[in-house]
Amino acid sequence: MSRLFDFAGGVGKGYSQPDTILSKDSVSLPENLVRKELPKWPRLSEPEMVRHYTWLSRRNYGIDTGFYPLGSCTMKHNPRVNEVIAQIPGIADIHPHQPEHHLQGLLSIFHEMQNMLAVCSGMDQVTLQPVAGAQGEFTAVRCVQEYFRSRGEVQRTKVIVPDSAHGTNPASAAMAGFEIIEIPSLEDGRIDIEALRAVVDDSIALMMVTNPNTLGLFENDISKASEIIHSVGGQMYYDGANFNAILGRTSPGLMGFDAVHFNLHKTFSQPHGGGGPGSGPIGVKSHLAQYLPGPLVKKRPIIGDDHKYAVDDMWYGWFQPENSIGKVQQWHGNSGAVVRCWAYYRRYGYGLKEMSEHAVLNANYLRHALHREAKKAGVTDMFVDGAHTDIAKHEFTLSLLPAKEKYGISAMDVAKGLLDKGYMAPTVYFPLVVPECMMFEPTETESRDTLDDFAKHFIEVLQEDPETLHQAPITTPVRRVDEVYAARNLCLRHPFEDE
Amino acid sequence: MVDQLPNRGLELEMLKEMGMSSMDDLFSDVPENIRMTEPLALPPPQSEEEIIADARRLLGANRAMTEVVSFLGAGLYKNYVPASVFQLVTRGEFLTSYTPYQPEVSQGMLQAMWEFQTLISELVGLPISNLSLYDGSTAAAEALTCSVRVHNRKSTQKNTVYVSELTPPDKISVMNNYCQGAGIEIRYLKHNSDGTLDLSSVQDAAGSCGVYVEQPNPLGLLDGGYPRIKEIIGQNTALIVGVQPVSLGLVEAPGNYGADIVVGEGQPFGSPITAGGPIYGIFACSKPYLRLMPGRIVGRSIDVDGKEAYCLTLSTREQHIRRHRATSNICTNETLIALMGAMHMSLLGPEGLHHLALRNITACNLAKQKLMEINTIAIPHILGTHFNEFIVELPASAADCLEYLDRVGIIGGFDASRWYANRTNWLLVTFTDQTSAEEIELLASHLAAWSTEVSQ
Repeated sequence: MSRLFDFAGGVGKGYSQPDTILSKDSVSLPENLVRKELPKWPRLSEPEMVRHYTWLSRRNYGIDTGFYPLGSCTMKHNPRVNEVIAQIPGIADIHPHQPEHHLQGLLSIFHEMQNMLAVCSGMDQVTLQPVAGAQGEFTAVRCVQEYFRSRGEVQRTKVIVPDSAHGTNPASAAMAGFEIIEIPSLEDGRIDIEALRAVVDDSIALMMVTNPNTLGLFENDISKASEIIHSVGGQMYYDGANFNAILGRTSPGLMGFDAVHFNLHKTFSQPHGGGGPGSGPIGVKSHLAQYLPGPLVKKRPIIGDDHKYAVDDMWYGWFQPENSIGKVQQWHGNSGAVVRCWAYYRRYGYGLKEMSEHAVLNANYLRHALHREAKKAGVTDMFVDGAHTDIAKHEFTLSLLPAKEKYGISAMDVAKGLLDKGYMAPTVYFPLVVPECMMFEPTETESRDTLDDFAKHFIEVLQEDPETLHQAPITTPVRRVDEVYAARNLCLRHPFEDE
Repeated sequence: MVDQLPNRGLELEMLKEMGMSSMDDLFSDVPENIRMTEPLALPPPQSEEEIIADARRLLGANRAMTEVVSFLGAGLYKNYVPASVFQLVTRGEFLTSYTPYQPEVSQGMLQAMWEFQTLISELVGLPISNLSLYDGSTAAAEALTCSVRVHNRKSTQKNTVYVSELTPPDKISVMNNYCQGAGIEIRYLKHNSDGTLDLSSVQDAAGSCGVYVEQPNPLGLLDGGYPRIKEIIGQNTALIVGVQPVSLGLVEAPGNYGADIVVGEGQPFGSPITAGGPIYGIFACSKPYLRLMPGRIVGRSIDVDGKEAYCLTLSTREQHIRRHRATSNICTNETLIALMGAMHMSLLGPEGLHHLALRNITACNLAKQKLMEINTIAIPHILGTHFNEFIVELPASAADCLEYLDRVGIIGGFDASRWYANRTNWLLVTFTDQTSAEEIELLASHLAAWSTEVSQ
C-alpha cells in the first residue's frame, strides 16, 4: 500500500524551485499573521510522487480500462486529440479578464458552440457559462424565475418534477426557492398526463422533464405535457442528461420546451475525471434570452484595424443580456471543457445524428443480447425489463426483483459480480420507481463484440451460486467496502501521530 | 467520415438480429409531429488532422499569458504546474473514470481525494474539507448558505449574512444567485481608507449567520485585523475566510484565527488558468458545519476483510438521496482538477509551499519599491502588507494605461474600475512566482513613460 502521508522524507528532497528573485531582506508580515507552523504536508521526491500516483491510478477503473455501462452518465470514449488541444497555450494560459482582441480565436469557438447547441436543441440563444449539468438546471430555473417576476407573476412558486427525475432537478429548483410538486410516473416511468392535469394551475412556474426519461423511454406524450403546462402559463424545462439519444432526430424545441441544459461532458465528451469537470451550458427560447448569465459572444463584420487580430472576416465580442440574472460562476464557464467539446463536435458535424443513432442502436442491441443470452442459458426467470417497451433509447433498465425474490440475489450482488468480471457496474437502485433496478447505458463507442461479451458475462454472474455472489467482488483491490463503518467512524483526513 | 463508431458497417446486421430493418425503426417511438425532418445545419465531419490544424490556427491567434509579459491576476494567478502533474493526470484510469459509486474499483481516486482533503485541511487549519466545488465564487456562495443553515435558528439577524464591500462584483453576483432562493439578505462590511476592514462595522454583523472576508483582500492586502473578527461576532456567527492558497505558505492558516469555513480558488495549485475553468473551489470547515456542508466527502473505512478502504460518505446530504432537501444541488464537480492540485501540493511539500509564497511576496515587494520611485503614480495602500498584488493610482484612467501597455506587448494588470466604478484610475498589478525582476523593471519603465506623458 502506498500512502501519501507516509512520505515524510528530509527537508529539501522535494521539487526544487528557482530562487532568483528572493532577496536577502526578510519578509515582514503583521505579527499576528505570521504562520507559526507549516502544514503537515508530505515530503516526496519526483520519482516517489510519480510512483505513488501511478500506483493509485492502477487501483481505479475508467473507460480506458474497460466497458463502463453506467446508466445516466454517458461514459463514451474521449478522443485523445481533445486533450492535446486543451493544452495549447491559447486556451490553457488565457486569463478571462484579457481584452477581446487577445481572444478572437477562443471567442470564435464559443460562438460556434453557441450556434451548434442552438441548432441541435431548437433553442434561440445559448450561454456557455454554467459549469455542470446541475448548475445549468439552477441557471435555467433562475432565468424562468426572473421572467415571471418581470411579468408580475409572483404567485408562480411551484415546480413540477416527475418522481423518476434525477435528484438534481428538485435540488436545483429548491435552491432557487421553489416549492417542489412531485408527480408519480406511470409504471414505465413516463409522465402520467392525468396526474399532471390534476396539479396544474397558475401557481406553476415550471415543469422539469428528462426525455428520454430516466428509464430510457421516449416520452411520447411530451407535446401534450407541454401544452398542459403552457395552457396555465408555465414554462417547460428540458434536462439534457439524456440528450445523447436524440440529436438530429428530434429536439427540445420541437417538443415544446422553453429552456434546456446540456451536459457537454456527456453528450460531447469531456473526460469525467472521477467526478468532474463537466460543463452545463443552457439554451432558451427568445423570450428568456434577456435573463441569461453572460457574457455571451456575438459577431459582426470586421472594420478598421480589426483584421490585425481577427481569425476570419468577423469580429467576435462579448455582450451582456439586458436583464441578466448575473453570474453563476465568476469567470467564463468551463472554457477548457467547451474547447474539448468543440473538437468533439467537429469530428461529427452533421453526423451527430449518426452518433445518437449508434447510441440507441447499442442500447437496444445490448438489451436484446441480455435477453438472448438469458434464454440460451435458461435463466429468463431472474430479471424483467424495468419498463415494458418495444424499444429503448440510449439506455434501459432491468429489474432484478425476480432474482432477489427467488434466489436472494440483489442488484448490488450482481453489480459486484460484474466487477469481478472486469466491468464497471451499471447504475444500481436508480431510478427509484424500478425495484432492484440496474440501468445500462453502453454508449455509441462500444463494439458489438464488447456488448456480446458483456451480455454473456452478465448471465454468468446470474448463474453463480448466490452465496458466492454475496462474497463478490474478490478480485478487486479491496472487497466490499463498509459504508456504514465509514459513516459511523468518520475519518475524513489522515490521522497524524501527534493527534 | 465519422471515425469514432466501432459498429459502423454493422448497423444492418445488428438491426436485423433485433427484427428491425432501419435506424428509423429505433426512433419509431418519436411522434411524427416532433421529428426533425431536415439534416442538422452543421458542417461535415472532420478528421483529427483537420481539427487539430483548426484548433492551432484559432487558439494560436489568442494571446496566451505565457507568451507575453503579464501582470494580470485579480483572482486567478499565473503559476507553473510541474510536468509530472500533466503526465499523471492524463492516465486513463483517472481521466476517464466517474463518480466512485463502486468503491471497490475506484480506490485510486477515492484515496487520492481523501489525501486531497488532508492536504487542504492542513493548509487552512480546519479539520474537514470536501473534494472540491466549481470555483472560489461558488464555494464562497455555498459557504454563505451553509452558514445560514447552521446558525439561523439561534441568530438574532435571521437569514442575514455580511460580506466585505471589496468583494469583486462578479463574485457577489454569484452569491446573490445562490442566496436569493433561501431568502438570504447580503449586507456589506465597510473598510478603512488604508484598505483594511473597519472592525466597528463588523460589530453590526454580530448575531447574523455569517461573515465573509478575503485574506489577502481583493486589494492584495493582508489584513492584521482579521484575528479579532471571531471574538466580535461570537460563536453563533460563522467566520468565512476566502484565501489565495499559496499565501498560506507564509500567512497564518485562518482556522488558527477563528475561521469556521475557509474557501478559495484552488487554481494556483495544479491548474492552468484556462480562461477561468475548469478550475476548482476549496471548501473546508470545522465540525459543526459537517452535516450541512455542500459537496462530496471521502471517508476512510474498511472492507469485509478488515482491510483499509475508502468510500464516499455522508451522502445523505446530497441531491441523489436527499433530493429537494439536499444541502446543495452539486453533482458533477471538479475532482480531476483537485487531483492535479493534490499532485502539485505533494511535490511542493511544506518547505516548497513556503518557498513558493516567498517568491510571490518578494516579487510583489520588489515591484512596490520600483513603482514607488515613479513620482507620477501613487500606491494608495503603501503602508499595508501585500501578498502578490496591489493597487496603483494612475494620473489618468487605467483603461488608457492598459491600452498603452498592450501596444508594447504587456498585459498591464486589471482595471479596478470594473469592480469599483468610481476608481477609474486604479490599476491592480499582480506579481507571482512567475514574475521576474526584469519584467518588473520593464513595467516600471513603461509606467513611468506613460504616466509622465499623460501628466504633462
